[in-house]
Amino acid sequence: MNNRNDKWILEDKEFDSRLMIGSALYPSPKIMEESIKASGSQIVTVALRRQSAGEGGDNPFWELIKELNITILPNTAGCHTAKEAITTAMMAREVFETNWIKLEVIGNQYNLQPDPFALVEATEVLIKEGFRVLPYMTDDLVLAQRLADLGCSTLMPWGSPIGSGRGLMNPYNLKVIRKQFPELQLIVDAGIGKPSDAIEAMELGFDGILLNSAVALAQEPVMMAEAFKYALRAGRLSYQAGRMQERDMASPSTPTVGTPFWHQFN
Amino acid sequence: MIISINGELKKFETDTLTVQKLLETMQFGKGIAVALNETFIMRTKYNETNINDGDRLDILSPVQGG
Repeated sequence: MNNRNDKWILEDKEFDSRLMIGSALYPSPKIMEESIKASGSQIVTVALRRQSAGEGGDNPFWELIKELNITILPNTAGCHTAKEAITTAMMAREVFETNWIKLEVIGNQYNLQPDPFALVEATEVLIKEGFRVLPYMTDDLVLAQRLADLGCSTLMPWGSPIGSGRGLMNPYNLKVIRKQFPELQLIVDAGIGKPSDAIEAMELGFDGILLNSAVALAQEPVMMAEAFKYALRAGRLSYQAGRMQERDMASPSTPTVGTPFWHQFN
Repeated sequence: MIISINGELKKFETDTLTVQKLLETMQFGKGIAVALNETFIMRTKYNETNINDGDRLDILSPVQGG
């Protein structure tokens, strides 16, 4: 296996980086731009919100994102029903000129847990409308099956609640989804707090990571973005290389043949 | 007529108003998308979509997102 040429095919595009990064919560637009560049990510998430009258054509944020010349992944953040999410997705397709959508339908305000029922309902409609749906979902095996049956080729289960930085709460669930759906692209979306969380997910065989707060809220966002860049590479290589078997007993790595007499035990 | 624009009520001294006319009057920018009563309105339909008294209009543009 040539690990140096590890292209990632996601939906209908090819990428070198397996990191997807959000554009929110940075201390400044400049730090956002530098962080996205430092992360090596080729996919950035964006959203839609109400525009004030009289703003004219100026949207410095959007101009800055366009200049990065990377793939745009709009989300439906803030939607609480399938209808809201469908309408927002259609608006996003027109504004961002992409049929990719990170489908997000929130079902609980405390932990921002996705609503699995509304997610399935919206996914079914949007796929029929020609969207490439990347659903933000709980780590539920049956939900994964339903979404795959509807035609999703990418699934994005949470690691833990959005913005919590708690890492992977249920590695077992993620591992089972990986095992059951070897043909799908699996991305851990939400909850990643530090690079070692991302490595853990990649070592489980996940294909990519989507994160935002872990970089934007770091003490040094640009530096943290670079840390994640290397973490994803390390995690991916580690998964491909295949880890050694765990053992209960110690086993010396230094050869025992030729050990001097004063190191020998009876 | 009175319509809700992005959650704020606004009065217009006319009985005939299209989405196109409203966007021009209120100087909304180009990189926007419109929903009328929570239903998406395609850009190509702005001219032929009439707004009625009591309608709710949402006009969205790109922002930061995760």
